[in-house]
Amino acid sequence: MTKPPVELPPIGAGGFQPLDVAPPEGGEVQVIASGWRLAMREFASNRLAVLGLGTLVFFVLLCFVGPLVHPTNQTLFNPLSVELPPGGGHPLGTDEHGFDELGRIMKGGQAALEVGFLASAIATVVGTLWGAVAGLVGGIIDGIMMRIVDILLSIPFLLIVLVLATKINGTVIEESLLLGFFSWLVPARLVRGEVLTLRTRDFIHAARVMGSGRGRLVYRHLIPNALSVVIVNITFQVADAILALAYLGFLGFGLNYPATSWGDMLGNAQNDISSGYWWLVYPVGACLVIVVLAANLVGDALRDALDVRLRRR
Amino acid sequence: MIGYIIRRVMVAVIITIGIAIITFAILHYLSPSPVYDVLGAKAQPSVVKAWNQSHGFDRPEIAQFISYLGNLLHLNFGYSYKLSQSVSALFKENAGRSAYLSGAALVLSLLIAMPLGILQAVKRNSLSDYTVTTANFVLYSMPSFFLGLILIQIFALDLGIFPPTVSDSITTTFGAITHPLQLFLPIVTLTAINIASFSRYMRSSTLDNLGQDYIRLARAKGLSQRAVLFRHLLRNACLPMITLVGLSVPTLVAGNLLIEVLFNYQGLGLLFFNALGNEDYNILLAYTIFGGILTVLGNLIADVATAAADPRIRFD
Repeated sequence: MTKPPVELPPIGAGGFQPLDVAPPEGGEVQVIASGWRLAMREFASNRLAVLGLGTLVFFVLLCFVGPLVHPTNQTLFNPLSVELPPGGGHPLGTDEHGFDELGRIMKGGQAALEVGFLASAIATVVGTLWGAVAGLVGGIIDGIMMRIVDILLSIPFLLIVLVLATKINGTVIEESLLLGFFSWLVPARLVRGEVLTLRTRDFIHAARVMGSGRGRLVYRHLIPNALSVVIVNITFQVADAILALAYLGFLGFGLNYPATSWGDMLGNAQNDISSGYWWLVYPVGACLVIVVLAANLVGDALRDALDVRLRRR
Repeated sequence: MIGYIIRRVMVAVIITIGIAIITFAILHYLSPSPVYDVLGAKAQPSVVKAWNQSHGFDRPEIAQFISYLGNLLHLNFGYSYKLSQSVSALFKENAGRSAYLSGAALVLSLLIAMPLGILQAVKRNSLSDYTVTTANFVLYSMPSFFLGLILIQIFALDLGIFPPTVSDSITTTFGAITHPLQLFLPIVTLTAINIASFSRYMRSSTLDNLGQDYIRLARAKGLSQRAVLFRHLLRNACLPMITLVGLSVPTLVAGNLLIEVLFNYQGLGLLFFNALGNEDYNILLAYTIFGGILTVLGNLIADVATAAADPRIRFD
């Protein structure tokens, strides 16, 4: 997707020199900005990405601060106000237990976001360590470690997660551990690939020739350069984990009562729409799609911003 | 080429054995012996012990694993004590309907996604390109069951053209094929989800190819746009699709599961879903390993097919 060209704001007193204008002969080499600042500026200039990030922030606020503004009873069944259409004190109506649907969406959103971020954090930490060790050590250990990744990647994710979900208690922590434990494979592959290509790059050789020790090489050169791949992957992992939790919930293996997640709320959707209770299906489904969409947008934009080869200038 | 295929097959065999080890470990951890399913939860300990002994469940794990592996080689996926049928028989009964659902969706999505991707790339940055890209992005972020729900709402509940769920009277693959109205919504749902990822790749692959010299040469020779696109570009732009189709096996397996549950369509996915409720671990693990083998086969076939189709790939 191409973006409209955006004027960069001037930096400091010198002003910004566009790169496609040839510098005057013998001119001074000017540092425009560090790689990270350039990436941040690139990201901020992508309107879709800012929209995605704004949407994520909005949902975090809605789900975690919203219940303070719109307090609702989400623990005790209320048989007197079951399946009320939107209106009155219930902006989005009530569900089959008499819970306020808007409050339910906030509560379910908390779980979805918590599991999304926690599972992605687990997957990222495990995957990065696994991939980095495999890539750095190399040889037979690398071979064994990556074959393990190949094997686990060949087992369909949803199936194995569902099988194990029959035995867990359905708390946020357990669901995150379950999803995280089967999601670290892709980051492991990415990080290993990145480490392998970085190891042979000229600037690493140069740093080594200049006398960098192993520790300095890893912390000062390898990690910052491999980090961009990891960061991009985190956002996609969040989107995937939220979707996976929704699948588990829809199939009836989500969080246990009184906790709920968006997928759990859609578990009965088939009957709800047949009975005309549209407010129990579309608002929560829309939230799910919008949050996953926003996370994917942010991920795409981060990839564009952090990958120098894809950068417009 | 032959050497390459042999090497790839050997890797696939090793990975399959790895999958078997993991599924066996999980099976063993979740349900060491089906004895209580057979004899009831209140069976006497001595009877339980005798049953385990006579059925080999008291042997060391490694011995049990070897006989499990041997059974797999004979396509014996175990026995469902809950349904009193062998898992292979259950699979044989349901596989046709699932294969029809996945196959139809896969073929349809390729037929639509490939021209769509080419069209997007040729008219890149136009309104139609943006519209399709946006639609793809939304579909890509949408759980398949939610798309199915929306389609049920529009086409079944509001317009009343198609039934909201597949009728129980469809019990054979033949029945599924001869009742296209019944299967319309499930197939469309799966197709739409697949198109979202396929056309994205097709678009970028076409864009890569459009910038290459052989296209410029073809244009310079004075060929028409149609000839350039369909005689020269199409074959080259489709190469990544081979890999993509091979890699889409797990998505198809998972998609089948959700769509079959949503539309109540008797297939392997629904069998698996019902086994989840029954804690019927032999079916669960058999389907997981079956999905794993399909994934490995998908990768293997995609690799070999790409190598056969693309002479630039060397085999050493």
